[in-house]
Amino acid sequence: MDVKKRQTHIKVAEYERQPVPGNARLGFKHFIGMYAGEHAAGTELMIGPLFVAAGVGASDLIFGLLAGNALAVMSWMFLTAPIGTRLRFTLYYQLEKICGKHLVTIYNLANGIMFCFLAGAMITVSATALGVWFDFKMPGLNDMYPNSLGWVLAVLFMGLMIALVAAYGYRTVARIANIAAPWMVLVFLAFGIVGLRQFIDVYPDPIENAGDVWHLAQTHIWKGGDPLPGQVKFTFWHVMFFAWFCNMAMHIGMADLSVFRYARKSWYAIASAAGMYIGHFMAWISASILYAYQLNLDASNTDVLPGPMAFKALGITGLLCVIVAGWTTANPTIYRAGLAFQAITPKSSRFKVTLVTGLIATMAGMFPAVAMKLLDFVALYGMLLMPMGAIIFVDFWLFKKIGLQSFFASRHHLLFNWAAGLTWFTALAACLLLVMFAGIQIFFVSLPGWFIAVLVYIVLSYFYQSRILKNKSV
Amino acid sequence: MKFNRHIPRIIALVALCILIYPSILFLSGIYMLRTVQWIMLLATLVWFISASFWMGRSR
Repeated sequence: MDVKKRQTHIKVAEYERQPVPGNARLGFKHFIGMYAGEHAAGTELMIGPLFVAAGVGASDLIFGLLAGNALAVMSWMFLTAPIGTRLRFTLYYQLEKICGKHLVTIYNLANGIMFCFLAGAMITVSATALGVWFDFKMPGLNDMYPNSLGWVLAVLFMGLMIALVAAYGYRTVARIANIAAPWMVLVFLAFGIVGLRQFIDVYPDPIENAGDVWHLAQTHIWKGGDPLPGQVKFTFWHVMFFAWFCNMAMHIGMADLSVFRYARKSWYAIASAAGMYIGHFMAWISASILYAYQLNLDASNTDVLPGPMAFKALGITGLLCVIVAGWTTANPTIYRAGLAFQAITPKSSRFKVTLVTGLIATMAGMFPAVAMKLLDFVALYGMLLMPMGAIIFVDFWLFKKIGLQSFFASRHHLLFNWAAGLTWFTALAACLLLVMFAGIQIFFVSLPGWFIAVLVYIVLSYFYQSRILKNKSV
Repeated sequence: MKFNRHIPRIIALVALCILIYPSILFLSGIYMLRTVQWIMLLATLVWFISASFWMGRSR
């Protein structure tokens, strides 16, 4: 390897199997930009309206989001970043050391499938913009299956474009995403401002102070009361837990270990607040105002279609925002899903895997059930990957203190750490049982699920580690 | 030379200000929605063109 090639190699090294060295670490500003951009996504345009469809009240929404987002930021600060900045490994490498290669393969598969569905929802969002131009029948709030040929073709077109670009030119779209991020944040804000003015115009009383605006919000925008048919009623607790757990895979599930291994200091995780309070507060509120206004004009029009809503508010700029928001976030999601699948079949080409992944996401996007039930799906996504975060937490903070060995799989060359595998499956089964038989809704179940995972992993590891060590000594 | 390098940045930042400004005037009841939409589209075009000169480029 000549010097130039070596320098290039060093430059693009992503430290996948080694701690990130001091000279590759990044400053605080980098994390602010990353989180602010990543959490202003196409799906925000679905989530805000779905809160309104769930019959949320104004104070439940505002205070629930304030509290839930604060808890999410604290989860990044006190759970993810301290481990990320101490070990500086990727999530996958750390999991491999704890769980063994085969269990990580199953994790990758689960992660990849969930990413495909999430990307599918983003493609759905983008495709609603095409409906404004081509005027085909689009899915309603309670539709599970595609309801028109036009819709299928629109999703197919949008999905193929996104998949091809993800496979061919990921870097170009990543650059467009960077450029679009500040613009998109301001367009989201403009959605809210324009929507508020439209409400003021139909409000019977004059708006003279903040108290009047609050009254308008309570009586016209987020009125509370019964949810729309087919939707779950959202209270303060639903909003708070949803805001906390919608990125559970990233913080409590520890996926962002891969991000914070680059942070110079653990407290840089506070940068996640930029993403939470821009994307998961301002953007959700703005999108929900647009939907509430649509309902205010015609209570029978319950369709959650970001394209038409955005077009009515901001014209072509609104439509561009829907397309760009869906595209720029579906693109890395498909790319990540492709990487997760490629880890399972390392010999296959990245191009082919990404393309096939994009096609799977496109198929998922054709079914509006994923997007229309996005609140439930996001909660399920977090729950599915949460037990692995609990395993990493226990392995790092507790094992040494209670006389157990960390990184057990790598120390003993295991391909499948049964204690970790059974913990994952047991915790998920327990969550499922709590949802089915104890009446706990999916939005809340991950909290007891995390404690169950911690306890089960400690107990199983006592038996498993002592058995392996005993067999070795014999 | 240094001034020339800064021009796209200044134009981009002005475009961002112009992007949000008409919606605030709409809130105040000064602008019509149609005007807001056209100004925002123009600001969008200016932002994407000017920002592409400096944002996300490898040094």
